[in-house]
Amino acid sequence: MAIPSLLIASLIVFSLPRLIPGDVVQLMLEEKAYGKDLEDLRAKLGLNRPIYIQYVEWLGHVVRGDLGESLWTRRPVLEELARRLPISLELGVLALLFAIVISVPIGVLAAIRQDSPADYAMRSMAILGLSVPGFWIATLCVLLPAIWWGWSPPIQFTAFSADPWAHFAQFLLPAFILGIASAAAIMRLTRGTLLEVLRQDYVRTAWAKGLRERVVVLKHSLKNALIPVVTVLGIQVAQILGGTVIFESIFGLPGMGRFLFDAINQRDYPVIQGVNLLIVSVVVLMNLIVDAFYAFLDPRIRY
Amino acid sequence: MEHIPSSLTRRDVLKLGGAALAAGATSSLSAPAEAQTPKRGGRFRLRSHVAPVHFDPQQTIAFSTMIPLSFAYSRLVKVKGGSAVVPGTQPIEGDLAESWERQGDTAYVFKLRKGVRWHNKPPLNGRELTAEDVRYSYDRFLTIKGNANKFLLEMVDKVEAPDKYTVKFTLREPNAWFVDRLASTSTWVVAKDCVDQFGDLKKPESVVGTGPWMLRSYEPSVRLTFDRNPNYFVSGLPYADGVDIAIHPDPAAAFAQFLSGEYDFGPEYGMVIRRSDLDIAQRRVKGLGMRDYIVVFGGYTAMKLDQEPFKDVRVRRAFAMAQDWKEVLETNAWSQGKGEPNPLIPAALKEWSIPIGQLPQEGRQLYEFDPNGAKRLLAEAGYPNGLKVPVETTPGYGPDWMDAVQVSLRNWKQAGIEGDLKLKEYGAFVSSAIFGKFEKMILTLRGGTTDPDTYFTPFLPGEPLNSSGVNDAKLTEMIKLQRRTFDDKKRREIVYDIQRLTSQQVYYGYGASVSCVGAWMPYVKNFGPNIGHDYGGRLMVAWLDK
Repeated sequence: MAIPSLLIASLIVFSLPRLIPGDVVQLMLEEKAYGKDLEDLRAKLGLNRPIYIQYVEWLGHVVRGDLGESLWTRRPVLEELARRLPISLELGVLALLFAIVISVPIGVLAAIRQDSPADYAMRSMAILGLSVPGFWIATLCVLLPAIWWGWSPPIQFTAFSADPWAHFAQFLLPAFILGIASAAAIMRLTRGTLLEVLRQDYVRTAWAKGLRERVVVLKHSLKNALIPVVTVLGIQVAQILGGTVIFESIFGLPGMGRFLFDAINQRDYPVIQGVNLLIVSVVVLMNLIVDAFYAFLDPRIRY
Repeated sequence: MEHIPSSLTRRDVLKLGGAALAAGATSSLSAPAEAQTPKRGGRFRLRSHVAPVHFDPQQTIAFSTMIPLSFAYSRLVKVKGGSAVVPGTQPIEGDLAESWERQGDTAYVFKLRKGVRWHNKPPLNGRELTAEDVRYSYDRFLTIKGNANKFLLEMVDKVEAPDKYTVKFTLREPNAWFVDRLASTSTWVVAKDCVDQFGDLKKPESVVGTGPWMLRSYEPSVRLTFDRNPNYFVSGLPYADGVDIAIHPDPAAAFAQFLSGEYDFGPEYGMVIRRSDLDIAQRRVKGLGMRDYIVVFGGYTAMKLDQEPFKDVRVRRAFAMAQDWKEVLETNAWSQGKGEPNPLIPAALKEWSIPIGQLPQEGRQLYEFDPNGAKRLLAEAGYPNGLKVPVETTPGYGPDWMDAVQVSLRNWKQAGIEGDLKLKEYGAFVSSAIFGKFEKMILTLRGGTTDPDTYFTPFLPGEPLNSSGVNDAKLTEMIKLQRRTFDDKKRREIVYDIQRLTSQQVYYGYGASVSCVGAWMPYVKNFGPNIGHDYGGRLMVAWLDK
């Protein structure tokens, strides 16, 4: 299914940007465009040919690993993506890690202490995490220390090669905030599915055998409860990748989100196509990994 | 024949007149001229909210490209920098040109400074700049496809280099604004060697100029780093060893960085801070340098003049009269009530913008918010019950713009005008509505150019930017006449007369421009904010005294 999905996606990512009102050539010449200049530039960029020819040509290049050049900067799209993808992935993976590290233990605790004050407190925190916009928290985290103490977290990008620790440190705060909303959703799901599993007969049998709570919950229950959680984690990857746009802007990270945002504003078709195709590929790949992971969690699942 | 030495300009004279008076009237915060000994060393740290689209100044009009290039390139003439320059004035001095003279009405001869060297980077490797380089640069400017700024020098017929240090421009027709146009931040002198080697000038490695700093590196979407040009042709300049421009799109985060001392200048475009942030900034940064100035940008309204209801000048006047520019300024976070109404020439261009008080009564009264007067005009025009008009704009100009639009719509409603707001995506808007492709009316922004003559373009029949469809023979002749008038005083009178005429006819409506606060750290000396993209020119004469 992955290949047909990618093919359909390629058609969509190619055609949709061209349906957005506005013309890249007009944008490049801004308000000073004259008739002949427009036509000349359109021809120079190869945008005067029928759209299906442009698509077939682009697809042919993509298959050969060439995503084309930016219409504005003439820089190869693949080169830009190679530089920016690791930054978005670093942010996304760290955010996902924070989400898992925060949500799963809290979800388990909330389930085994169902309806206790601790459960209510943790569920309230989850609701708060879901309802407070991440960009708002991020803005406050950056602005308030500057107003109060004249200090702000590092938001001028440092490359790994320049200073590995500073590079890693600059991701911590945005990844933590980005992970909060996902953590809230995963925590509630973990709690709900674990409660369901804890009421199953085989778990009751485990309790009856006199197994310790830790073994019953972590070994016999949690593994089965995690299957829907892993499914949601796969979906969260797409959401986190989408969410990086704002966080990359606030924290000055030159990732794919900002690249795509600028490209859409500039109608830079090869860039929009390249970034979207890559995001689709990552999501398809993540879903493949999630599917494969089911077999590990539940040996009854076989492909 | 007039000879203009680079140390004295006609604008210096004007500055002593009404312009200085106007500046005094609008400047509540002012920077005293600093009589200190300049210090060498240190690096300026600035913020840009967008990355350059690329680095070829003849393939874009984007300020995001022109600002970085102002550090690395030179042009024949430039606008003076320094704390003594009144914001909004554009005193011109020689840059690559040592002197220049007008021969007859259509020829200009520029004598170049001797010993100017290109940056010591390949492929130029520090060779001497010649008149042929300058000729090539302007020839490329005028002939390359895709140069949207070509209109600035469209009066040029040919450029010649009669000897190694002389460049001669021959114009098709007289144009008194020619030298001002050359001072634009898009007429950088670029090198043929770079074009030959790189194909164009879009790549950062092709940025090899003769300017005060050299581009050391560009990390896309992260930062630009410039180092001092040790062979800069003005001895002793620039004072700072380098310039670091951080590219950061988020305004709140950028302000936080300013407060925490990561930037030396106000983080918003024009090196300003929002007036709503001023209190916090003053509390956090003791001795913060500040100066008010009116920005050149402002809203404007275009209307289909050949269609009802805008055929009738009374309707157009009613719209203007029903617009409360003071309320727009009061609701704006940048200005918080401070700013000025604009006639045709933006108020920011102090030397050429007519004071509202000097407009004729019919024009002047349109700046007094009077919904009842607007109702009366509408009734006289046959709309006693008011009217409903589709109004197109774009939210792409940002939330502050949309706030202003909402205020305008509410003002109009008080006069019985219902604006049916139709929002268009930014790209779609600038590629259609700006060129007259709209139903009845658009609300949009203007500004960006710093010579007054460009603001006349939307009044000339046949021009793509004539979005209202103005065709007024008398006005066209006046615009052409002022271009042929070399005497500044006489030309200013014609420019004033044009503004008087257009204020009565209301071919376009003009919103107010905000008064911004240019801001800089206390240790930055001899810095004066101004309109335009020439950051390099302003910082070249400034220094750090830490």
